[in-house]
Amino acid sequence: MTALTGPQVSTFTAFRATLRRDLLIALKRRNDLLNPLMFFLIVVSLFPLGVSSDPQELTRIAAGTVWVSALLASMLSLDNLYRADYEDGSLEQLLLSPQPLYFLVLAKNIAHWLVSGLPVVLLAPLLAYMLYLPADAYWTLMLTLLLGTPVLSLFGSIGVALTVGLGSRGLILAVIVLPLTVPVLIIGAKAVADASLGLALGMHYSLLGALLALSLSLAPLASAAALKISVN
Amino acid sequence: MWQWFFRLGSPKWFYELSGRWLPWLYVAMTVLLSIGVIWALLFVPQDYQQGDTIRIMYVHVPVASISLACFPLMAVAGVITLVWKMKLADMVAMCAAPIGAWFTAVALATGAIWGQPIWGTWWAWDARLTSMLIQFFLLIGVIALRSAIESPDAAARACALLSIVGAINVPIIKYSVEWWNTLHQPASNFAMDNESPFGPEIWVPLVIMICAVYLFFVISLILSTRNEILVRERRSQWVVDLIAAQKPQGA
Repeated sequence: MTALTGPQVSTFTAFRATLRRDLLIALKRRNDLLNPLMFFLIVVSLFPLGVSSDPQELTRIAAGTVWVSALLASMLSLDNLYRADYEDGSLEQLLLSPQPLYFLVLAKNIAHWLVSGLPVVLLAPLLAYMLYLPADAYWTLMLTLLLGTPVLSLFGSIGVALTVGLGSRGLILAVIVLPLTVPVLIIGAKAVADASLGLALGMHYSLLGALLALSLSLAPLASAAALKISVN
Repeated sequence: MWQWFFRLGSPKWFYELSGRWLPWLYVAMTVLLSIGVIWALLFVPQDYQQGDTIRIMYVHVPVASISLACFPLMAVAGVITLVWKMKLADMVAMCAAPIGAWFTAVALATGAIWGQPIWGTWWAWDARLTSMLIQFFLLIGVIALRSAIESPDAAARACALLSIVGAINVPIIKYSVEWWNTLHQPASNFAMDNESPFGPEIWVPLVIMICAVYLFFVISLILSTRNEILVRERRSQWVVDLIAAQKPQGA
């Protein structure tokens, strides 16, 4: 690390540049942006078709349905996270950079969440309305998704990083990542269900916040280590 | 102090040492298992509520307790693999995953067989059952990742990392599931005195069974690791010599 030549770049600049680059690429690929969202919409609308169109029954399953669909949509969008970078070689450049990999991975994860997680959060009330979720629970649904979907992106990033070099990775990614996301699903869905019953919610938010803090600090480290293993 | 640790990393050394241990482990396991099974099946008094079904506990509890120990074991082996690049640790982790998955499956199956007469259902979305099921999924994930990566070295490090991530998550999953729903009886405190519902005539055979099943796990792990050592070291001289020595002359 002593013989670095050329202009020195601060970690924050590198972080911002990575974030900007990933967001730009995402905005140029409208389909990648739209597909997970459409998937989310379609999966949610399959539930009334498969279960029942009875408003009372739908109210009961609304919280879980929206959460499970958000989880699946996040899983589907994960493949974009490192794949193109792996194929065109820019991932190797990222690993060679003198900047701490933690921040670069974090920037990529944040960019990924902004284009795949945030739209899901914003679309959620519409779907909640279609499933007759009680109006009291709307804010809880959005807030828990806001706290929970970044955790999904961060955990998912570890799985993608581990499988990025493999030929057929779609299914193995889901097998690895889905069990890890169980706590987020449990707490998020229960918070929304409790909110529609008018129960206290402080504990749910604290638990989700704790999960978010934990995954923000540890998951990018694991992703960085996984990337180093996958890219040799 | 570190010398034995690094010597342990040599597959050849482990192969020879475990070969000397195995007969003793077999004897200990056979003795404990016979005592435990006979005691548990024939001499333990019937439970005043559960009758003879209480005897399922003597299989279920040992198997379940070992399947819980499997992830920490894999995570420790994973740390050793990543930090010291010790091949043996990876072989142990690799062999522990399928054995652990089997133990988890058996724990779930015996739990279902026990649950049917007691709760009246084979399956309930109860906290411990569910967290066992998710642990089973996690183990399947590690096994699937191992088989998907072709380079053994990359597979070793990737699985090591996934085991560590999984081991950090297992307690989080356990507590979140527990918080979500619970029906399973809490883990009982065993006491020496007879006032507790679990007197010594109940728990002594249980402890014997736990030790016996632990030995069974250790023996399975050692046998499977020895196999893996022979496969991976098949080109090294000591394995060639070993195979040559075991072959009958002229065959």
